[in-house]
Amino acid sequence: MRYLFLLTATITSAFSQTQSDFYLREEIPLPKDEVMEISSIALMPQEKVAVATRRGDVWICSGAYGDDLSKVTWKKFAFGLHEPLGMYYQKGSLFLTQRPEFSRIQDSNADGTADVFETINSDWGISGDYHEYAFGTSPDKNGDVWITLCLTGSFNARANWRGWVLRITPDGKMIPTCSGIRSPGGIGFNAEGDTFYTDNQGIWNGSSSLKWLKPGSFQGAPVGNGYHKLANLPEPPTPKDGSRILTERTEHPEFIPPAVILPHGKVGQSPTGIQPDLTGGKFGPWKNQVYVGEQTHSQVQRVYLEKVNGLYQGAVFHMLEGFEAGLIPITLDQEKGILFAGGSNRGWASRGSKPFTFERVKWTGKTPFEILTMEAEPDGFTLTFTEPVDEKSAADLASYSMEAWTYIFQSKYGSPEVDQATPVIKATKISADKKSVRLTIEGLVRGHVHHLKVNGLKSKSGQAIWHPNAYYTLNEIPAK
Amino acid sequence: MSSLRFLPLITAVLTAPLFAAAQNGEQLYTQFCSACHAVDGKGANNGMFPPLAGSSWLQDMPKRAVAIVLFGLHGPIEVNGKSYNLEMPPQGAALTDDQIVSILNYVNSSWGNKGETVPRDLIRVTRSEFAARTEPWTAPELLKLFPLPIQKTVLSDLTSRVYKGQWNQIPDFDKIQAENIEEEHHGKISPSISGMDVHFGIVWEGNFMAPENAEYEFALDSDDGARITLNDQVVCEVKGTGPMNGSRAIQNKITLKEGKNTFRMDYFQGTGLKGLELKWKKSGDKAWNWLSDKPTPVKKESPSIPLSPTDESTAIYRNFIEGTTARGIGFGFPGDLNLVYSADNLAPELVWTGEFMDAGRHWTNRGQGNQPPSGVNVIKLTKDRFLPAEARFKGYSLDSKGNPTFHVSIGKQVLSDSWKPGKEGTLLRTLTLTGGPELNIPLGNATVAGAESATLAPGKPVTLTYLLK
Repeated sequence: MRYLFLLTATITSAFSQTQSDFYLREEIPLPKDEVMEISSIALMPQEKVAVATRRGDVWICSGAYGDDLSKVTWKKFAFGLHEPLGMYYQKGSLFLTQRPEFSRIQDSNADGTADVFETINSDWGISGDYHEYAFGTSPDKNGDVWITLCLTGSFNARANWRGWVLRITPDGKMIPTCSGIRSPGGIGFNAEGDTFYTDNQGIWNGSSSLKWLKPGSFQGAPVGNGYHKLANLPEPPTPKDGSRILTERTEHPEFIPPAVILPHGKVGQSPTGIQPDLTGGKFGPWKNQVYVGEQTHSQVQRVYLEKVNGLYQGAVFHMLEGFEAGLIPITLDQEKGILFAGGSNRGWASRGSKPFTFERVKWTGKTPFEILTMEAEPDGFTLTFTEPVDEKSAADLASYSMEAWTYIFQSKYGSPEVDQATPVIKATKISADKKSVRLTIEGLVRGHVHHLKVNGLKSKSGQAIWHPNAYYTLNEIPAK
Repeated sequence: MSSLRFLPLITAVLTAPLFAAAQNGEQLYTQFCSACHAVDGKGANNGMFPPLAGSSWLQDMPKRAVAIVLFGLHGPIEVNGKSYNLEMPPQGAALTDDQIVSILNYVNSSWGNKGETVPRDLIRVTRSEFAARTEPWTAPELLKLFPLPIQKTVLSDLTSRVYKGQWNQIPDFDKIQAENIEEEHHGKISPSISGMDVHFGIVWEGNFMAPENAEYEFALDSDDGARITLNDQVVCEVKGTGPMNGSRAIQNKITLKEGKNTFRMDYFQGTGLKGLELKWKKSGDKAWNWLSDKPTPVKKESPSIPLSPTDESTAIYRNFIEGTTARGIGFGFPGDLNLVYSADNLAPELVWTGEFMDAGRHWTNRGQGNQPPSGVNVIKLTKDRFLPAEARFKGYSLDSKGNPTFHVSIGKQVLSDSWKPGKEGTLLRTLTLTGGPELNIPLGNATVAGAESATLAPGKPVTLTYLLK
């Protein structure tokens, strides 16, 4: 009993850190009396920012980088588009992934509004179901745009290539690339330029997750499998219902497991846009990590990725919160280190209670005390922190706790957490620079989410950790 | 050694509250349900999502709520008088029986809800009863299996007497022989109990059980005549024959004592439509209480967002339009002329006059279903794709007035299809083809010349006039 009180006292005595100390979140004023349910954000030259809306408008914002956001001005560039969920600017044109097609729009007579709406590719099917969303990237290193196609009603595949990821080449050809998609909320790249998407909890997805779109891979939901015939591709696997991801991917090697599970309810409920941090430290110390938007919780999460035995895996941490609506697109200006976020809560509720929002986030220059990286080891994890740790609390086993679980891999909607395990932290070892702690853990479970809590840990300067929860998806345990 | 013994104890102390808390109804509700139903149970985003606080869907039959949580709910539903059209994802595979019981019992005992305690076993029983179910429920399916509780009104000991006859005003029913006398246990006033559509009358008598000594307001509308009498005093009377559209409605106040007040309602129906609306409230209250069936509002799934062309430009609507394919592109031209081009079938498919499109269906909630053109004289020009499989939609360009030219590639050929308003209710269509062989283009049956197809030669544009009005 005495011990417990002591522990509680330790936790509360470290003064708390708040978001505004580290990140300045600001609403960018929107054009008056317009419904701006932002679905895409594209950065343009001269600090202009284009946004597309779910209603099919494109507006161009000037002043979004400025110190005085009341001076922001807007110009309507296009209208009559079909729910664009992906947009980028290249050589004088805006490229958009619309529900029915990938297109380029241009202002050929330079009067400030678009007049050419060129369809580059529309070789996928739409049945007229509202849920058949199409999310697209900006070009990858080959110039290809990746488009992920939601299932019909998120349960069926009633039009060609529903449940697949396609690539559109610069000359407008479509390459079906991955199968097994359910209900994406966003698609983008990591720092290495590999493509990832977020899939939402539902059928064949016990929890939402961040998934690696390795070309040729199967992502778990076999609903749209049949379309492989349209392009003479190998038939994707038919996994066993009610199994586990680890079992099924062992059986079917083309089944790439989620890189990072975003535990349903605990981390979020509807993950969306994906952005790598290539700012080189302009947005905080999270170099080469990945940010993931979250619609229901109106947040941005941070993901640390690493590759073990050829598979991506890693940890998700809470990061930014309090956005005014459900976030859909996020776009990081990699040069200036400004994160733009937009979204809406139409049809899907969010913690942020405004119907739509457009915001920017800047790093204040102050670094929170936080777990920077969490790397898997053969017998534990190595945590690296943003600041040197307090040796006493870092060495104390009681500063850490861990539980692990997985989900049922099934055709039913979602899954409870199952196969619970309690890995035991046996030893801690602090690095010479005091910034890393090596945890030796008994009872790691391959394939499980490992939830680490570091409530007791303090920085050398006495700071408690900002976000003490880390959720690491241990697809593979590194060999010794 | 002693420190080692200590260690498991601490771990236990630290982890135990975590697991114990996981079954706490309030926490589970906050984690899994509050995003949509809100922490206060009133529905997220100022009631854009359905409330659980005070919801009649939670009353009686706890199995109804269990079934909804397990299998989800799809499509339109009315909750406490407000319509919603959303999706509730099924939770049966995501939550355990223990979690569902904790959540439902939290909901049933929060925000003034006084629902029955849900037994843990009911989750298992409901799961197995509907084990074959693969799709979320619709509201009509649920209502069939689990009807909502009938709310008894404040009218007690209510009887009805039905009369046959032709009148132009309320007769003295007491001097006429009744055809039928019934008890109305629910305390509801409804002309449908007569089983007749024309030439009948009904008198209801009973007690209005006033909740307290106070002034009360009554509102009455009817087709044809009706009169309420309380404690032998006429409160409202709709005289003679006429429609029930609010124009003849009567509202009045009366002071009543707590408890029994004698109530009488006289009603007669001549010919045409029949109807009766009666509601009451305590003076100063906001909400009305219905003694008749609550009028069913004209079913409107979404608010209206009409789109129209402006002086500067056509209106464009790219969404799911009734009567064409999912890749329809609608153009509204000045002069009430409208067109939908199908980017699937690579041809104009619909023309019409009058209003263009209403975007309300697709621009509110999730945007389910097809929206028909808002105007009139909808003409279906063609419905099948006539160009070869290799033909591809290449998009459209707009002139300075927003008039479109649609582009199609057919191998190396390009077919351009331009539309703009012409004189006196006409649309002008110009077809242009580059290179290659001639093309035969079906035109539909609205051209002034009457031709149903045209042969298009490369480099020789053809202009056609479509008469819409």
